[in-house]
Amino acid sequence: MSGKVSRQILLYGVVCLAILIVPVLVDDAFLLNKYARYLIFGMLAIALSLSWGYAGILNLGQATTFGLGSYCMAMFLKLKTVPIHTGSDGLPDFMVWNNVTELPWIWVPFHSMPIALLAGILVPALFAALLGWFMFGGRIAGVYAAIITLAAMVVVNLIIIDQQSYTGGFNGITDLARFEIFGLTFDAYSASTYYLVAICLTVTLFLALAVSRSKTGLILQAVRDQEERVRFFGYDVALYKTFVFALSAAIAGLAGMLYTIIMEFASPTFLGVPLSLSIVIWVAVGGRQSLLGAMLGAVLVTGVQGALSETEAFLETWTLVMGGLFVLIVLFMPKGLAGAFEALVRRFPKAERKGGARHATEQTSKSQPHLGGAL
Amino acid sequence: MTPARDQLLALKQVTVAFSGFIAVDRLDFEVASGELRCLIGPNGAGKSTTLDLICGKSRITSGEIAFRGAPIHVLKEFRIARTGIGRKFQVPSVFRELTVRENLEIGCSRDPGVWRNLFRFTGGVDTERLERLAVLVGLEDHLETQAAQLSHGQTQWLEIALILAQDPALILMDEPTAGMTAQETNMTAELFNRLRGKHTLVVVEHDMGFVRDIAETISVMHQGKLLAQGTADEVSQDAKVREAYLGSGGIGHA
Repeated sequence: MSGKVSRQILLYGVVCLAILIVPVLVDDAFLLNKYARYLIFGMLAIALSLSWGYAGILNLGQATTFGLGSYCMAMFLKLKTVPIHTGSDGLPDFMVWNNVTELPWIWVPFHSMPIALLAGILVPALFAALLGWFMFGGRIAGVYAAIITLAAMVVVNLIIIDQQSYTGGFNGITDLARFEIFGLTFDAYSASTYYLVAICLTVTLFLALAVSRSKTGLILQAVRDQEERVRFFGYDVALYKTFVFALSAAIAGLAGMLYTIIMEFASPTFLGVPLSLSIVIWVAVGGRQSLLGAMLGAVLVTGVQGALSETEAFLETWTLVMGGLFVLIVLFMPKGLAGAFEALVRRFPKAERKGGARHATEQTSKSQPHLGGAL
Repeated sequence: MTPARDQLLALKQVTVAFSGFIAVDRLDFEVASGELRCLIGPNGAGKSTTLDLICGKSRITSGEIAFRGAPIHVLKEFRIARTGIGRKFQVPSVFRELTVRENLEIGCSRDPGVWRNLFRFTGGVDTERLERLAVLVGLEDHLETQAAQLSHGQTQWLEIALILAQDPALILMDEPTAGMTAQETNMTAELFNRLRGKHTLVVVEHDMGFVRDIAETISVMHQGKLLAQGTADEVSQDAKVREAYLGSGGIGHA
């Protein structure tokens, strides 16, 4: 058991290390920016894998919390810009255009970096906790929960577009300052920003791994299998589900903040249906019951997507190709690439003899494959 | 009826109606601490419903259910479970995607909080206790097996072991031998006889042979009411019980 866990930690560590050395090999600011974007999508996939893969809560509105995090960061960075068109007290430009004369109270706390950074994680988490408390306390599950998450996203999106004088409306919040912390400046097109994203991804991945390996993680998987049964052991199922839903939102919020740094703006499209559905696809392709699988699924799909859309031969048809690939994977690999990888490892029992022949002979009935389950 | 001195569970005038249909009708039912009580009756008598009411799966329409003297019918399911009531369902429900060991870990629910369990990893679990439980139900060689791979009888035993891991004062068993072979049923009877005294059990069962093997007191339900109560011999000679079972070919085949 512990051997299996340490193999898993090793595998996760190797992947994170590989991600961290990319800037050593790639000396192209544009590419690093693109890769950092893929990594942020990887974080979103981890977030969805926690709620969907582990607890069985299909969140079709994961982008809501992503967008909330993104706006928190954008509000902070906007207040740091040297305004071109300023009203009194250096109002953000779009507010001036909307005849706002005074900084709205909701913006005021975002002058402070600690508050802004905390808000980027806590606002999404609280939003999800409230929604989760309402849904799971009312025993709403399955398709109905999925629809509510989708509807909630549309509502938040509409509010942001509607409240133009506070949020920048359709245009979002643009013309942002660079993110600065501890004397370091994070230019969107630089290795340092890539490292920032990669480190956040690593921390998130291992944090999620720890949660999934804890007893709480085990109970969440049990809830996914047999919610009723868990309840009659004395566990507050609604609380467990709300917890993982909020944790997933916090991760998405962090990803959203990073995304603002990378993209240099925040926009209502960040809370859109297309992004939300894309996350579901990445996680399904990578394997929703594997954090690493889901993360790599996101990087892989968005990477291939980017490559195809920039290849001349597929300029017109790349969405079709992606759609076809997705259908094939869902049809033939219900547990995604991670599941397929595990099945592949299981096929070669000889390869694992080296490491654990004794174990294999002792438990002839059904020994766990070694790399299988490591994802 | 048993004196209130060591009374553990008491249902007083409990009634439940499902959109007009009265499934349990002004039922008075008491179980003393340490007792192994069998609850039998023809199909539709309201036996499983009674267990549902006790554990909170269904809500009573009127009456009162008291556990250790305190009313529990107002509590949420997980709070009822935390007072010390465990429930084995008729259709065996275990966590099929998890291993037997993981299943048992979830059964150990003394600390049900999210935060506490967030910082508890596999190493922190009392493995000795888990393995003892696995031995008790004959699953010691299957600890790392996925529960989906178990046979039907093994699945029933696993769920029984989960309840024992929970270690509740009162265990409600709904047809624990359903779908078991004769040999498996015998082993289950043996297991129940071992549990006697340590836990209070209420067992709903159709298999009269099994009931005779384990029961001290048998309660017979019919049309949502308690029809008779007593030893196996007393009950099977009761005229009202014979009448109730007439349609289904006598008590032995119910």
